[in-house]
Amino acid sequence: MIPAKFDYVRPSSVADAVNALADAGDDAKVIAGGQSLLPLLRLRLAYPALLVDVGGLTELGGVRDNGGELVIGARTTHYQLVHDPLIAEHCGLLAEAASTVADPAVRHRGTLGGSLAHADPAGDLPAVVVALGGTMVATGPNGERQIPAGDFFVDYLTTSLGPSEILTSVRVPKFGKDWGYRYEKFHRTAQAWAIVGVAALARRSNGQVAEARVGLTNMGPVPVRAAAVEAAAAGAAASAEAMTAAAAGAAEGTNPPADLHGAPDYRRHLARVLTGRALEAAAGV
Amino acid sequence: MELEHSFTVPVPVERAWDVLLDVERVAPCMPGATLDSVEGDNIAGRIKVKVGPITMTYAGTAKFTERDAAARAMTLEASGKETRGAGTASATVRSELTAADDETHVRVRTSLNVTGRPAQFGRGVMADVGGKLVGIFADNLASMLAAEPAAAPDEAEDSDETDIAGNGAESRAADSDEALPIDVLNLPVRAWNGLRRNGIQTLGDLIKRTPEQLLAIENIGPASVAEIGRRLADRGLGLAGSETAAAPAGPEEEVAPAASAREIAAEKVAANGGAPARHAKTPTEAQPPPQAQPATREPVSWQPQDDAIDLLGVAGLPVLKRALPAAAALIALILVFLGVRRRRSRSR
Repeated sequence: MIPAKFDYVRPSSVADAVNALADAGDDAKVIAGGQSLLPLLRLRLAYPALLVDVGGLTELGGVRDNGGELVIGARTTHYQLVHDPLIAEHCGLLAEAASTVADPAVRHRGTLGGSLAHADPAGDLPAVVVALGGTMVATGPNGERQIPAGDFFVDYLTTSLGPSEILTSVRVPKFGKDWGYRYEKFHRTAQAWAIVGVAALARRSNGQVAEARVGLTNMGPVPVRAAAVEAAAAGAAASAEAMTAAAAGAAEGTNPPADLHGAPDYRRHLARVLTGRALEAAAGV
Repeated sequence: MELEHSFTVPVPVERAWDVLLDVERVAPCMPGATLDSVEGDNIAGRIKVKVGPITMTYAGTAKFTERDAAARAMTLEASGKETRGAGTASATVRSELTAADDETHVRVRTSLNVTGRPAQFGRGVMADVGGKLVGIFADNLASMLAAEPAAAPDEAEDSDETDIAGNGAESRAADSDEALPIDVLNLPVRAWNGLRRNGIQTLGDLIKRTPEQLLAIENIGPASVAEIGRRLADRGLGLAGSETAAAPAGPEEEVAPAASAREIAAEKVAANGGAPARHAKTPTEAQPPPQAQPATREPVSWQPQDDAIDLLGVAGLPVLKRALPAAAALIALILVFLGVRRRRSRSR
């Protein structure tokens, strides 16, 4: 299919891009890697009047060490996430999850910022950033704004970004060597969207899990933290039984969708099983 | 998928019942909904659903299939088709009203069926979206009822009057004309049928429509609209939104910013299941238009019934072409036969 007609601009600075978006009103979309937006255009599910290409903005690229946290440019591709030494050292969960996204072609073009701003509930990276407790940095006509990951995702495909705001970078805290992690993704065919995904981080000390963080993919219109699991896992023994027991509450408070790939009950079951596996791996059982 | 919602509106049950059945007042409460026409129990309209970057517009019809005043239950069946795609959506909405002191409790059960790309792409989101739409509708309805003065049953008529009064002497002079049936315009039969089918009976009804709204009607094209405009101008009237408009638009003015005529024409083709209306060979009277068909839950009801005629029309030439070798062979056979007979007659 051929997309509906649209105008295209490729600004040379973030300020120009924000101006272009502000001028176009509601009918403009930011395009970076285009791996989510182009299918929508080609299926004619979206008809923006203007595409603002941020692919040429070098200020949106790169991974920076900023003391206690990493600042990851929104334009960083999945491939770069997988292979970046800083991310591998301080935030391995992000690299592991990025390596499960779609196929190599998509990973070379698709970007972290695009994946987050698209806010597909079945996308892998939103739940990971929520589990990591990241912060989104957005630039709009009124300057820069910091949005905690938990407040960023509003609804299905909807974020708290304004129509003329651009996600410029993501700040994630550094996780030390005592943290283990795992992204468990369940899909029926290779490269498919996650039916359910679980991002888990666990800090181990003295044979116990001192602290756990769990984010769920596709268990509702937005990525969620499994608070019940985090509470149950904290202080539990780092054993397979204890982690399975902690994972029993993984589906609490979730509202999973029903579709061709599975009913809500099936997804709740998957969430419990996958959370157990992810926690075991993260706790080094 | 089945959805269930309930809400409470701060009015007695009798009034809530009347309002819920008054489509023209209830429709604006539905986010993204536009009414095209209301004719008795048949309602034609459009709904635009926006989810993040995804925009879907469905055009279709709805019909009250049940109005049980004693049990305070009503059922609305609606079905529609994507204007820019092949997807369909249909819904059966049953509302039950129960009185609770001075309030009315409304329970809405919706059975929603969505096909096509949005359904596939949506991966189950349609239930979510549908549920949210009904939720917003209920909120809007409750606030509309709460904001209204207790007794305003003739609101629609009132607003009409203010519109006319606000337009000065000229329109009052034309007032008498507005009550005339559209027959006085001597329109072509097709255009006349199209207007009548969409509930346009008098000149007053007609001048409330914009040219774009008329274009959206089956069998009315740009030429018909121009013709209607000319004949109205002869009487000092004009369509809503056009330069010659002598009267302001009625309640229908709230229709979303009208798209270009060509876009609407394209939508019209889409609404007919892709079969261009002008190819229909059968008289329109014999073919009930999709709007007139009782809405069923099957999206099949949206397939136009003159498909076969179109297919024949399109395939006629290729069929002839394919028959050409056979015809040639037949002629050759006849020639050979004649030749053989001549030789035989000679040998005799």
